Amino acid sequence: MLVLQVLANGILLGGLYAVVALGLALVWGVLDIINLAHGAFIMLGGYIAYYLFTGLGLDPFAALPLVMLAMFVIGYLIQWGILNFLVRAPMFNMLLVTFGIDVVLTYLAQILFSADLRAIRPSYAGSNFAVLGVTIPWANLMAFVVALLLTGLLALFLQRHRWGRAIRATAQNLDAARLHGVPPRFAYALTFGIGAAIAGGAGTLYGVVAQLTPYVGVPLTAKSFAIAIIGGLDNPLGVIVGGLVLGLAEAFGSLWLGPTYRDAVSLGLLVLVLIVRPTGILGRTV
Amino acid sequence: MKALVWVLALLAVAALAAVPFTLSPVLVQFGISTLLLAVLAQGWNIIGGFTGYASFGNSVFYGLGTYGTAVAMVQFKLPFAVGLAVGAAVSVLFALVLGLPVLRLRGHYFAITTLALSEAVAAIISNLDIAGRNTGLILPLIRGDTMFYELSLGLMVLATLTVLWLSRSRFGFGLIAIREREDAAEVMGIPTTLYKVLAFGLAALFSALAGGIHAYWITFIDPASAFDISLNVRMIIMAVFGGAGTVIGPVIGAFLLSGISEVLASYVTGVASLFFGLVIVAAVLFTPRGVIDAVRRLPRRGLAYFLDAVRETRL
Repeated sequence: MLVLQVLANGILLGGLYAVVALGLALVWGVLDIINLAHGAFIMLGGYIAYYLFTGLGLDPFAALPLVMLAMFVIGYLIQWGILNFLVRAPMFNMLLVTFGIDVVLTYLAQILFSADLRAIRPSYAGSNFAVLGVTIPWANLMAFVVALLLTGLLALFLQRHRWGRAIRATAQNLDAARLHGVPPRFAYALTFGIGAAIAGGAGTLYGVVAQLTPYVGVPLTAKSFAIAIIGGLDNPLGVIVGGLVLGLAEAFGSLWLGPTYRDAVSLGLLVLVLIVRPTGILGRTV
Repeated sequence: MKALVWVLALLAVAALAAVPFTLSPVLVQFGISTLLLAVLAQGWNIIGGFTGYASFGNSVFYGLGTYGTAVAMVQFKLPFAVGLAVGAAVSVLFALVLGLPVLRLRGHYFAITTLALSEAVAAIISNLDIAGRNTGLILPLIRGDTMFYELSLGLMVLATLTVLWLSRSRFGFGLIAIREREDAAEVMGIPTTLYKVLAFGLAALFSALAGGIHAYWITFIDPASAFDISLNVRMIIMAVFGGAGTVIGPVIGAFLLSGISEVLASYVTGVASLFFGLVIVAAVLFTPRGVIDAVRRLPRRGLAYFLDAVRETRL
């Protein structure tokens, strides 16, 4: 029974992890930008949802589109106004600027929202149900479903929509995309905006199942890396695999080895995947 | 001209060496941490700036140097000098053994793997009895900021001389060739694997020595502070801000950024970190090739330098 419960916990956690990493994987895979401020975007989205909930009484799942819209605008402006100026600079520079943005957002959040723990707790937050002796909290299950939904929608958008195809074309060959009439600055800003919007959505879900502080960003960025690498960057569905692998590894790692080894398990797994299969589990072999 | 540069460098080192005997103790402490940061930035410069591998594992080297020194001194009662050597040996060995598989990865993948390594090593250390688990170790107390200051200064000079040697030796040229185009370097007959692993080891040596000195100076270490990933980010920022791949850039970067954050911390206490973030963003936007490059060309180009810098890297 304990094993089943841990399995369920790991899967639920994995779904959330998938959407946490989705925005980072998109921006990394398409724009080749490692956004160190990704976790800060998640944090910011969580706080927007929190204030919509406490201020206007808006249910976090209803607030999701609003939060995502707000984060889209923020992400679009950051790429358009700052990052677009560094696309042709060495890779370190982009790392540094996104790190700087992370610092700015973290401390703005500390000033504006204070360092207290916040959590979005609607009336159904504490309730759960049992299947086969396994307890499943409703909020976590809903977060899991929404996470999968968002990932699926993004995959569909990239596959079918005109702009989605423009984004993929940019990822494959910037010059060729430009020749076919894709405005690159717009495509970059659009992609980054979508990445930030998904991060905002992830933040809303995170706020429902966990607690927010201005400092949750950096660990979330680190986990997103691991997930994106494990799943591979070619395919948005890769993050679902990566998220589930990481969620399960963490759940069983803390069961069998003890919680102090939890992070070592997930990161050891990451190093292993990188050395054995550098393009990720779902990625194409080179 | 060349002689003038050497004289100026010697004068600067002499002036720095005189600081503990003339200025306030607070400044000496600020000096020690800044000098050690300069050593770390210089160590990162070897693997990141010259070889072009964005290492996030330098904080592991630093942490292993810290722990090697502390364990040797606390658990085996060895003197400080031996402790430093033990820390450096452990760290360099780690770099050489791990460098072989990890340096096969390129670009972002290398960066992320080294990032993960640092977390994994921290987790292992915090489960080892000999390393004091999560609580850490307390080193024998010693008063002597002057000694630590001069030691740090000596290490910084040594690191900078090493980088100077890199900038004009066959080995250093090999590293630069690897940075510019690794396949081409391989074809030209450069033993790329050997060179990369050696550069990794050299970076590990300086990071570990800085870690050992810091451990004995601060007298208390624990896994969280010894393997702090943000320290690695600071190394990169300092090196890139000053000018990655240059000889003196990382030192300038360390001094400027430490100075800026110190001044901000004392004048605008509450929002110091906020301003620090803004300074980083602005600095990278307008001087994408580092302060050294800007200083060298600004007199001739004037403000157009900044506009060109932005235009050059824009999408």
